[in-house]
Amino acid sequence: MTNSMKEFEDSGCIFVIGSNTTETHPIIAGRIMTAKEKGAKLIVADPRNIHLAEFADIVVHHRLGSDVALLNGMMHVIVKNGWHDDKHIEERTEGFSDLEEVLEDYTPKKVEAITGVGCVDIERMAEMYAGNHPAALLYAMGITQHTTGVDNVKSCCNLAMLCGNVGVRSGGVNPLRGQSNVQGACDMGGLPNVFPGYQPVADQTANEKFSNAWGKALPERAGLTLTDMVKGMGDGRIKALCVFGENPKLSDPDSGHLDHVLKKLDFLLVQDLYMTETAADADVFFAGASVAEEDGTYTNTERRCMRGNKAIDPLGKALPDWDIICRLSSAMGYAMDYSCPEEIFDEMTSLTPSYGGMTYERLGINGLQWPCPGKDHPGTPYLHKDNFSRGKGKFHAVKYLDPDEMPDEDYPFFLTTGRMFSHYHTGTMTRVSPHLHSEQKSGYIEVSPKDAGDMMLNDGENVRVLSRRGQIEVPVKITSRVGEGLLFSPFHFRENPINRLTNPAFDPIAKIPEFKVCAVKLEKIAE
Amino acid sequence: MDYQMVPSICPYCGVGCGVLLEVIDGKLAGTLPLKTHPNNEGKLCIKGWNLHEHVVSDNRLLFPLVKEEGRFREVAWDEAIEISAKRLKAIIEEFGPDSVGVLTSAKMTNEANYLIQKFSRAAIGTNNVDHCARL
Amino acid sequence: MNMMHEIVKEWLEQEKIDLFIGYKVVDGHPLPCFFTRENIDDVDNLVESKARYPLEKIAAKVYSTHPEMKIGILARDCNQRALNVLYVWNQLDPEKIETVGINCCPSPAREHADCSYLEREPSGPLKTLIGIENNLKPEQAEVYSQEERFKRWSYEFEKCIKCYGCRNICPVCFCKECSLEHSDLIKKGELPVEIPIFHLVRAVHMAGRCIDCGLCEDACPANIPLRLLYREVNQITARLFDYRAGTDSGQSPFSILGENVTLEPMSL
Repeated sequence: MTNSMKEFEDSGCIFVIGSNTTETHPIIAGRIMTAKEKGAKLIVADPRNIHLAEFADIVVHHRLGSDVALLNGMMHVIVKNGWHDDKHIEERTEGFSDLEEVLEDYTPKKVEAITGVGCVDIERMAEMYAGNHPAALLYAMGITQHTTGVDNVKSCCNLAMLCGNVGVRSGGVNPLRGQSNVQGACDMGGLPNVFPGYQPVADQTANEKFSNAWGKALPERAGLTLTDMVKGMGDGRIKALCVFGENPKLSDPDSGHLDHVLKKLDFLLVQDLYMTETAADADVFFAGASVAEEDGTYTNTERRCMRGNKAIDPLGKALPDWDIICRLSSAMGYAMDYSCPEEIFDEMTSLTPSYGGMTYERLGINGLQWPCPGKDHPGTPYLHKDNFSRGKGKFHAVKYLDPDEMPDEDYPFFLTTGRMFSHYHTGTMTRVSPHLHSEQKSGYIEVSPKDAGDMMLNDGENVRVLSRRGQIEVPVKITSRVGEGLLFSPFHFRENPINRLTNPAFDPIAKIPEFKVCAVKLEKIAE
Repeated sequence: MDYQMVPSICPYCGVGCGVLLEVIDGKLAGTLPLKTHPNNEGKLCIKGWNLHEHVVSDNRLLFPLVKEEGRFREVAWDEAIEISAKRLKAIIEEFGPDSVGVLTSAKMTNEANYLIQKFSRAAIGTNNVDHCARL
Repeated sequence: MNMMHEIVKEWLEQEKIDLFIGYKVVDGHPLPCFFTRENIDDVDNLVESKARYPLEKIAAKVYSTHPEMKIGILARDCNQRALNVLYVWNQLDPEKIETVGINCCPSPAREHADCSYLEREPSGPLKTLIGIENNLKPEQAEVYSQEERFKRWSYEFEKCIKCYGCRNICPVCFCKECSLEHSDLIKKGELPVEIPIFHLVRAVHMAGRCIDCGLCEDACPANIPLRLLYREVNQITARLFDYRAGTDSGQSPFSILGENVTLEPMSL
């Protein structure tokens, strides 16, 4: 996030696109409601009629995957009416004329044809966003999990820069991170092309710095993303896989294919808290510790690095995650002998400028928001205050592209996936939690009353869902949350593994799969 | 009788709400919101309120396992580590370091993530390290 | 060392109590803390804390596993009322509890003048227009017509994200089975919660029990005026039965309910 959560309470306008905030980030949803009650305008754009939509001034349900068109349409209207922030564009950005040229084409009429959102609504959204400064844009996986994920994000940034909403308090472009330490995993270099602090592995200076610090010549060529690793497992280039605390068998698209390639591995190592679907295929299983059983830091969606403290000793023979990795690394001939997480943290901060000013003592309970480069630096609540990290903010002229798979005669329904409020990710943690499990015990697929009526489906009835990649059976939930032709299913439930159906096609740059759009058909199961 | 309230961070979602883990006689007994935490100011969602339940669940697997002829066998840590190191080293020797992939975790600590990528790059010798942020 | 520290130390030393539940500041945050004879010097770190936690609920937890323990507790007026309710419902034994009373901060907005930190910013204009302001008194909320009130409360309930925090934090919620989780009563697995059933079921169970501490409202991510809602049901209880939870020492008029249903208190 460019900004901080608390700031949303003072926004003039909050634009939520592709985030089911009340269910997936409820505490942020609370801040949005407060902002609204204090007078902020709220725009919600989501293909489903989500809970948060009840509170919005404008709600639109754009067609799955049509985000770029919708955002371009809004910008078209803003530019046509002169509602954009000339001064901000002039002083802080570049590439505006390229964008302007592309926007020319995205008339409300054309956008209506693509998105299904009426011209009047597009104009109202544009006016509301541009007219209530500062406006905060919030998004989640509804924006990113597309073959055009990067385009979608760029369009969000275009809109924010166009109206002078970057580098201001209570504004910004704010992706809501889905997991407790996604931000931290990225910051720590859990990516194939960068060391901690986004220092490129291919950059000679950075590579030398880390090679010296770690006492070993390090590879300079960027590695494979998860998406490419899966491909590598298929063609035999990847022989061994070490999976730490993830369950890709349930979370990856086209999971039938992943099943198949995991079996081709010579060696699979899995570290987890439970016997997950992925762990069941492992050659060796490491029993890791939970959040309550080890010290360490987590970095949240607003870049705030905070300490989690060990409350109890690891249960049974489980070991803290850092300890297991030290043992494995040492056994492989690369010694790691840290005595505690703080020692690891100190080594990390010495090599990572954005975390450079942090110590356990300074973090305390409140934590610090990076960049925090020096011991006296107070941390950074919002980014790009005076300058973008690259100097000037760049507008990207982005054209709309269809999702990889669109409904057709054979597969007439749109399917989208996501979470529901009492469960988390592949359900490994929440389905063993009695209070969370009792809230929702099985998977389901949301079907509109109209479609259910047409197919004579009853609420709770098992239905067969088929895509080009696989098929599952799942109980029907008849609800007006989804419109005609649209289906939604959460991916938490192993009995109804919806990711057998999803499309592994991915964004060419971010390599993020298109979980949010695929084409399926429904079949009533004969009695 | 021992009672501790340990401040920590909720592991569900990226908000990072401050929680208090309630420990009675060394056992995790409950979760309360940390009322003065800047992120959540004393509020939690249903998942946060119940976070202790996933820790103490009977479903936890609390020892290392090694698979032999299709069946898991409980082993000591030293054995699990040794077998893994041996297998990985053999594969690296035969097919090179880039034949190994590592998936780190968006749920683990920064320290664990730092070590996992260091392990991948320095111990294995590959940049094939990624995580499930995209999923 | 102040008076409070002296009293607690004396009680611990004289074995009048085995432990004392109060607050201690850790990294700038007041946290609930146990003070014992073994670490008696730690009592110097005991503070009153503006941030309130349900200390009496923690005491009841200790009592359920260690009934022999004598517990001292830092008690504002609200803690004291909660303790009284827990005595009435046999969740705590008054013989085992000693309290150190502390002054509550005066607050013009609160009848009970509990603590100034609870005083909220005034409600935003939209809430005033379509919702229920948190600082209203019951009689102020009653000026709306029946229809208008229902609409306004429905707006507030609509915001609920179903965290169950109101129940979880409540010092006088101790039922083993909770009606809020009965799928026959309330539909599960969906947001928003069933309106108005979810909140009315809880409100009904708060009648004759709620001690108006405001912890529920303080824990509510959606800022629903729960305190006002439960005050309303308690006013009815006062009118019909002349019973005030937390101040009257007699059995609650509702203790006749639920011998074998969901209201059954935890057995001791």
